Amino acid sequence: MNLLDLPQYGLPQAEKELLLRAELDRLTEHHRAHCPEYRRLLTIFGSARGTGIAGVPWLPVSVFKTHRLLSVPESEVFKTMTSSGTTGQRVSRIVLDRATAQRQAQALVAIMATVLGPDRLPMLIVDSPAVVGDRRQMSARGAGVLGMAALGRHHTYALDTDMRVDVTAIRRFLERFGDRPFLMFGFTYMVWRHLVTELGAQADLSRGVLVHSGGWKALQAQAVDNPTFKRVLRERFGLTRVHNFYGMVEQVGSVFLEGDDGYLHAPNFADVLVRDPVTWEPAPNGTVGVLEVVSALPTSYPGHAILTEDLGVVHDAGDPATGWGGTRLSVVGRLPRVELRGCGDTHAVNTGAAA
Amino acid sequence: MTAPAVLAEPQAGPDGTAAWMRATPTGRPFDAETVEFAGALSRRLGRAGGRVPELQALAYWTRPGEIRRLAADFAALENDGCLLVPRGTVFHVPPSNVDTIFVYSWLMSALVGNRNVVRLSDRAGGHTELIVGLLRELLDEGFDGVRDALRIVRYGHDDTWTAALSAACDLRVIWGGDSTVDTIRRSPLPPHATELTFPDRFSLAVMRAPAYLAAPDRDALVSRFRADAYMFDQRACSSPRLVVWVGSRAEAALASEDFFGRLATLVGAGGYPVDGSLAVSKLGYVYGAVLDQPVSACRWYDNALAVLTVERFGQPRREHCGGGVFHELRLDALNDLVPHIERRDQTIVHHGFTGAELTGLVRALNGRGVDRIVPLGQALTFQRVWDGHDLLQAFTRRVTVSTAEVLPG
Repeated sequence: MNLLDLPQYGLPQAEKELLLRAELDRLTEHHRAHCPEYRRLLTIFGSARGTGIAGVPWLPVSVFKTHRLLSVPESEVFKTMTSSGTTGQRVSRIVLDRATAQRQAQALVAIMATVLGPDRLPMLIVDSPAVVGDRRQMSARGAGVLGMAALGRHHTYALDTDMRVDVTAIRRFLERFGDRPFLMFGFTYMVWRHLVTELGAQADLSRGVLVHSGGWKALQAQAVDNPTFKRVLRERFGLTRVHNFYGMVEQVGSVFLEGDDGYLHAPNFADVLVRDPVTWEPAPNGTVGVLEVVSALPTSYPGHAILTEDLGVVHDAGDPATGWGGTRLSVVGRLPRVELRGCGDTHAVNTGAAA
Repeated sequence: MTAPAVLAEPQAGPDGTAAWMRATPTGRPFDAETVEFAGALSRRLGRAGGRVPELQALAYWTRPGEIRRLAADFAALENDGCLLVPRGTVFHVPPSNVDTIFVYSWLMSALVGNRNVVRLSDRAGGHTELIVGLLRELLDEGFDGVRDALRIVRYGHDDTWTAALSAACDLRVIWGGDSTVDTIRRSPLPPHATELTFPDRFSLAVMRAPAYLAAPDRDALVSRFRADAYMFDQRACSSPRLVVWVGSRAEAALASEDFFGRLATLVGAGGYPVDGSLAVSKLGYVYGAVLDQPVSACRWYDNALAVLTVERFGQPRREHCGGGVFHELRLDALNDLVPHIERRDQTIVHHGFTGAELTGLVRALNGRGVDRIVPLGQALTFQRVWDGHDLLQAFTRRVTVSTAEVLPG
């Protein structure tokens, strides 16, 4: 797929949309032919929905929580990913074959090369080795760590198995690799909770590139937003190269990476649009709505166009000349949970999904 | 142990409340003070309830005329050889998300003379505060007898409280879903005590398609159905989730198009609020239902109304998103429903059938399910007979008195 091979963020938006739509249409036909449930949904809800990325038929993300959808024979299932979810919430089950998993890994490499360069860097993982336990039933956090781990070498976990900062391990890592570029990865709230509040100012991370993800919900309570997060890391550790990304277990590999302008950017082979939560039509740029993500990667499950349960804003596409083309996105957060009335046990309605 | 009491002796923990349950005398059924209290509550609710339909419905149900009718019904249940007396202490566990149920449950029990303990969830909704505030006001102004016979406690998932109150009560009343019933049932009752449970239920509407099409004021019918379905976000036990058309294919198609078209307009005009989260949840439900049910068509009018046409009865009783998603089915005859009805089914709202047809349906069902059959618009009207129980009887014991010294025969 040449969208994967072309330099990421380098295509003019109009050209990228044409190429991507063609890929997505191919995927619609592929899944229609190979996934009976998807075929049935298209029959009932219709498949012709107009031009552009918004014209691709989408599925609400919750379908992956209630149903195990696959477009490959059971014998080709390589692994199953599950989304994170608190107790009682249903989690998504995403079925991968080798081809899809491999494409996801290549996609992540292509995206991250933009900020990491072509070489595999020494890697400090802001998590515990315990998180990557069972490799067949991967949690979203474990899958995130494993997926990113492929981009680095000399992996060192910054936390021990009791989830405490391993000062010795970090010091050894920095003694060995701290004077050249190195990769750091962790979930946003883990980085804040463990590195910022527990490690204190005893490490020089100025040659590091931090890539982090997982949402801001936990940090919002402490009034920590992205600028604050970056300022504290800069002031405390000299860490200046910090890139957030937005992604979900339902579309592993197609992540939206924070560019130098502070916005999240769509790579060549994926895109994002905002839908008006009343009409479900695409909303104009600059308005908050429900995010729909599309990706050319998944062939083993019909997840190439997914309506998320996240709110966000899409801005004008970036300029490829700056190195950061592609649709620019700001994520606002999860749709708030609602409690409906009624006689039965109260079920908080939905949410979950995006890891 | 903190004291979560809302309306109780200060610092009365579970054991103190249980001791009170044993010590306080029961009252006379329909004694003047309790009856007067109901009327006072009705007036105050009528004023304070504003335009909230459920509070107005409660005000209506507690007004003096209704209470007199209830007293007359009660009197008709007894005679000199068979008297109704209070059970003692009734422990009420109302649902956390229908704010008015605890008043119906408690007041009916108080009227027949019981002591009552009401457990309010720590998640109870906004109208609960209003109602408890009104009760506190009224009880501060008088009604000592009513006050002495009532304890309202508020706690979350606290087995200590539930265990103590259960062990000291004579009747436990659980409103709520299946899992609430399961949880509360882990606390044992005294051997003599009984229990009323109101678990998850499913309700439906049944209409004769040609009768609907011939009705002179279809908007009025649709408006009544809207109240049935939307007042509690389609999540009350008696809110219809399935609409059954009885008639030919052509009649049903015409009736359905007219009915749901009017409903969409009416719900839209009423500004029924559907926020993004509920809308997404409904999308998820609808997509899931297409995969699990024999759905032949989905009409997504807008976020407030979606109709899933099913070709066979299927299993529409699964967990439901609420907020205006209807399954729709056509049958040739009313009694074709019979094999599909289950114990879980509670209320049928109907239009276009005779009394004889409806009693015929009940006879044919013969206890399979369905506890209420009411006209469109009355799904949510609380009645003394609920879920198959006559509450006036359930809240009392029958004592028989015989003077015949020699058994006949």
